[in-house]
Amino acid sequence: MPVTFTFGEMLSARSVIGSTLAELGDDYPNLYVLTPDIGATLVEFRDKFPERFIDVGLAEQACVGISAGLAYDGNIPVVSGMLPFLSMRALEQIRTDVCYPNLPVKIIGTHGGLVGNGGSTHYAVEDLTLMGALTNMTVTSIGDPAMVGEVLRQSMTMTGPIYIRLAVGKKDKVLYEPGEHEVRIGKGIVAREGTDATIFTHGTTVAQALDAADELAKDGRSVRVVDMWTLKPIDAELVLRSAAETGGRFVVLEDHLAYGGLATRIADVVTDNGVCLTAFERLGIPQVYAGFGEDEQLRDKHGYGLADTVAALRRVIAAS
Amino acid sequence: MTPTSLADTGARPSVEELEDRAFELREKLLHLCGTYEGAVHIGGDLSAADIFTVLFQYGMNVDPTDIANPERDRFVLSKGHAAVCMYIAMAIRGFFSYDGIVDTYGQLDSAYGMHPCKVQLPGVEASTGSLGHGLPIAVGMAMSARGRGEDHRVFCLLGDGETGEGSVWEAVMAARSNKLGNLVAFVDRNRQLMTSFAEERVMFEPYPDKWRAFGWNVIELDGHDMSQLVAAIDALPAPDSDVPTVIVAETVKGKGVDFMERNLAWHAGSLGAADLERALAALNASRDKETV
Repeated sequence: MPVTFTFGEMLSARSVIGSTLAELGDDYPNLYVLTPDIGATLVEFRDKFPERFIDVGLAEQACVGISAGLAYDGNIPVVSGMLPFLSMRALEQIRTDVCYPNLPVKIIGTHGGLVGNGGSTHYAVEDLTLMGALTNMTVTSIGDPAMVGEVLRQSMTMTGPIYIRLAVGKKDKVLYEPGEHEVRIGKGIVAREGTDATIFTHGTTVAQALDAADELAKDGRSVRVVDMWTLKPIDAELVLRSAAETGGRFVVLEDHLAYGGLATRIADVVTDNGVCLTAFERLGIPQVYAGFGEDEQLRDKHGYGLADTVAALRRVIAAS
Repeated sequence: MTPTSLADTGARPSVEELEDRAFELREKLLHLCGTYEGAVHIGGDLSAADIFTVLFQYGMNVDPTDIANPERDRFVLSKGHAAVCMYIAMAIRGFFSYDGIVDTYGQLDSAYGMHPCKVQLPGVEASTGSLGHGLPIAVGMAMSARGRGEDHRVFCLLGDGETGEGSVWEAVMAARSNKLGNLVAFVDRNRQLMTSFAEERVMFEPYPDKWRAFGWNVIELDGHDMSQLVAAIDALPAPDSDVPTVIVAETVKGKGVDFMERNLAWHAGSLGAADLERALAALNASRDKETV
């Protein structure tokens, strides 16, 4: 069922997870949902399919290991929780138990980036580096809450594992009208066409990139916004086409460490293909533990807020 | 079709026959350790040889000619460094040829390496090797069996040393909480870590009580006494019962080869031709001693 929220409205990505899984449980009698005590999102599934809902309590490693055991036996497990813990405490289980035998386990969770004011124990800011390093793992980061359901649906037929990163997931701005863009794992979305520069981003900062493009438009500048929500495998064709069509002027904006995430992956595509860019700037978290504060305050403090993004775009456009 | 059950076909071996097969397993292990120049985890292989034998030749409902049968019992090797002992136990049961193992072990493109890989060797149930991972996987398999309404069992073999990993106890709790009476764990309690005797470094005792405290059905036995192992298998609770079982098997690392027994130097190693003869002689002497 398509979600009927429209552009600009607020929608809880968590509720989309819950309703989508409850719906998919009918279509896939081998779908299991597991969580290490972060089950509030999953109530709809739990109530409808209690025998396929597994809350192991505070035990991320066993949660992922159990999901592997279920997948070995032909099931489709979805592990849902907070990403800072799933991506690090259970990293070895994800790598060894899930990715090594290439099992169809979906890791989906909240708190990607400097979100939720939890402090650095509760920010997943290294996760895309870690997950991106794992052979067989598909890595995604979704900003548009309405997309979450579609991605989960598509992931059901995948043979290998997928990582789905969300922000807090309680209240997210709908970025696209339903059906406005084709959502396909492995393909980026051109959220806004443009010719002067491209800003690549993912997840919670897509909305900020669109705002920055609006600012530049006031100066008569045309900025392409690419929502590169699949970081691995990356849509290299779109990266190369954007280099050719936007003057080789790139800004990469992400709510993640500035090195090791999307910016690094885009730099890999560019260098591997022998493309010489005119200008390249990366905006993200420097090598610091970020401290407390609201999301927007933290982005400003660490140099990747809206004003910094606008400034970076102006710099790359001015570069010769 | 139900997998070939040794019990159903009347082919279930006697205790004496199982002892012969355990001897054969040890002999083949030593041969491999004598021909392969790299490290073989021979100490922990020999300690678990009787457990592997009772599982693959007696206790588990598996069919080497129908390895994907959904009704088969599952086996997860949590102490993945005992892979070669599992390969050979499976070969004795008819899954693979022993020659294929000993001729290619550890070589480029071989399916047989230090730790088991399901992708490279179908018939193995799970890719393991990093310690503390097997029991959670076995819990997932046992849950899956329950979900399908199937009554096969899931067996898991752990080393006692690896139960130092916290993930083991997460799985111990999950198994009991989810009433997985179809799950049977064996602990090869050889009381040695790689570089020390276990209790010198880690206080495991009171070991069986720890499992009991987590609500498991605990069976303690001599892991080298085949009649006790058979009796434990025969007395397992029904797979549809609520309490998972752990069989804490007291073993000796290096069992059967006097110069390897309880010897930290033989956690892993390679024998070479001369020492192979010495080891085989020791194995034979040990058997003669026990049969007197």
